Amino acid sequence: MTRAVVFLLRRAVAGVFTLVAMVSLTFTIFWATPTQPARFVYQHQLLTNDEIRQANHLLGTDEPKLEQWVHYVTHLLRFDFGTMWESSFLTGNGQLVRPPIAPLVDPALRTTLSLLLGGAFLVLLLAVPLGTFAGSRLGSVGDRTVSLVALLGVCTHPMVIGILVRSLFAHRLHWLPPTGYCPLRNGAPGCTGIVAWADHLVLPWVTFALLFLALYIRMVRASVAETLHEDFVRTARAKGASPLRILSAHVLPNTALRILTMIGMEIGTAIGVCIYIETAYRLPGLASVAVRAMAGDSAALDLPLILAVVFVISLIVVAGNLVVDAFTLFVDPRVAIARGRATTKSAAGGVI
Amino acid sequence: MAWVAQFERVREGDATPPRPIGPWRLGWRRFRRDRWGSFSLLVLCVILVLALFGAATLTRLVGHNGQTPFPYAASLTGKRPVGPWTRVAALTTPRVDEYGGPLPLPRGTKTTLLVLGADGPLGRDEAIRLFDGMRTSLEIGLLAALVAVLIALPIGTVAGYFGGRVDDVVSTLTESIMAFPLLLFLVYANRFLLNDFGALSWSWVLPAGVVGESVLIGAVTSFYPLRLVRAQLLVLRHAEFVEAARMVGASDRRIMRRHLLPHLVPTLLVWGAIAVGTNMLVEVGLSFLGLGVDPSIPTLGTLLSTVWGTIFNPNTYNSHNYTPWQTIFPMAAMVITVVCLNRFADAVRSALEPRATR
Repeated sequence: MTRAVVFLLRRAVAGVFTLVAMVSLTFTIFWATPTQPARFVYQHQLLTNDEIRQANHLLGTDEPKLEQWVHYVTHLLRFDFGTMWESSFLTGNGQLVRPPIAPLVDPALRTTLSLLLGGAFLVLLLAVPLGTFAGSRLGSVGDRTVSLVALLGVCTHPMVIGILVRSLFAHRLHWLPPTGYCPLRNGAPGCTGIVAWADHLVLPWVTFALLFLALYIRMVRASVAETLHEDFVRTARAKGASPLRILSAHVLPNTALRILTMIGMEIGTAIGVCIYIETAYRLPGLASVAVRAMAGDSAALDLPLILAVVFVISLIVVAGNLVVDAFTLFVDPRVAIARGRATTKSAAGGVI
Repeated sequence: MAWVAQFERVREGDATPPRPIGPWRLGWRRFRRDRWGSFSLLVLCVILVLALFGAATLTRLVGHNGQTPFPYAASLTGKRPVGPWTRVAALTTPRVDEYGGPLPLPRGTKTTLLVLGADGPLGRDEAIRLFDGMRTSLEIGLLAALVAVLIALPIGTVAGYFGGRVDDVVSTLTESIMAFPLLLFLVYANRFLLNDFGALSWSWVLPAGVVGESVLIGAVTSFYPLRLVRAQLLVLRHAEFVEAARMVGASDRRIMRRHLLPHLVPTLLVWGAIAVGTNMLVEVGLSFLGLGVDPSIPTLGTLLSTVWGTIFNPNTYNSHNYTPWQTIFPMAAMVITVVCLNRFADAVRSALEPRATR
């Protein structure tokens, strides 16, 4: 019991280090960019030196870099996202009023998490039966069909799939709404509650699943095919166990470990894919916030907003990995014994 | 018994035993037995020929090139862009009266054939743009894979061969970089870093921005082959032939270059085939972000993103303007290419590496 706790604690500490590293890296990259934060305060093109100095003082960018870094890291680790530079305005007596980031990021986070978790659930729901079906009859027609469909899913871009699915099911057939997101609570009337929420998210979930089904079906298929040759399966069969019992009680627990490892590695890719799906379906998620942070203004980057977005994305990855590690411990307690380096899994690396 | 004589003849004839078949030849024979793999290779060759020569051939055959806009194929008629195999009036400027309304065309107006239809409101030839786009996309995919291997091979070899502390440093560095939100980094890099690379171009062979984008995609995707190379070398460096070479006095560089590198070729070949497909998808993604090459240069990504808009500027769905052809053809080209590349890579992997199970 304590070993498991120690293992999880070690992972959590590594996760915190990862978060700090991500924030620091973004911070460093920001300061290596020729960007002019003063543009957020004074919107006209040519700024005088006095204006630049004044703006940097108001924004806090003329303090030593180390102090700024400490300020950002300590605030972010307390989940205090601060205020952004964009849409800030100067009041009459020289004060800079900056809008807070949290009301922007919190609903976006909920949207993205809805998409991610629902999509992941759908993937598992579909991939495990299909993969098991394919793995238990290798080389048959069913196996080849499933593999082919899975291969097609990985060879198209999620945005293209999203657009096509949307134009078919929403614009042509009118079965589901094409765009928009309805929160579970506190939404507009007619757009709250679980029915409206699921209604708007079905097509995004299906698009998400189509891409990852390919990878997971292949993996489940390979793992099932391998496990079916093991001795204990032969013993179970000799004892008279039905195929269903063999699959559910003997084969699947072994596959579960690999699925969990793969989920842990793919969280980053999943977030990248989410960005495209959110654009295709106009879901107000982290994608739109990230886009706003990166390219809202033509020539300047909004540092607090970017840091908040990077932090949130890395937080999802770290938390996801922790949950996966906890489940892995539950499935296979030997993991806690192995002396491995605490590796950081890749965060939002999804560029596909 | 006359039939014995043929054996005696054979036995007199050969003084040396026949040469053993090398691993590449064996691999090719095993590859040929995989029917889907061979078929994929065939399709890939066809795609390559189409991509390299299709645009020029088609230009000669139909008599117009891919940049000429044909208003009578799209915007002037007020209807949707025309579909495949349509003959349109070969006029680049519309005949309009003083109010801008279309004038009837005289009977003898020359018409030209648009093989796959128009590519949107501009009315350019979709087929020629598609072939050009396939070529540019393949170029980007290949160049990016090459760049990735160029980056990953030296670093991975050093990390895998020496092991120990060097390996620790490289691994930690790689993992921290891989943990960074790469999509955001790409956005940043494309907007602020790519201006120098954008100037590198070579007329129609390498349009502007292709080299820059390939370098970017290659740099970002170089971590995976780095891990592959490192993992394989960590195992191989304990092999007996390495020990033997070291005993004879070979330097580390010689061992790495002459003895270890040939073992990496199958792995990198398989990875390379899949990577070309993945890079093409990445390029499409970057075009949808508005960060790819200039939209006037046809690639499969820009062909799609000019129809559907980018993240910053999405096009709304307009059922009057919408034809599925402009989406179907680039998407079909991309799917076929990537599927064939994946299948080819699978077949090569089964052929070149020993397999324990099926």
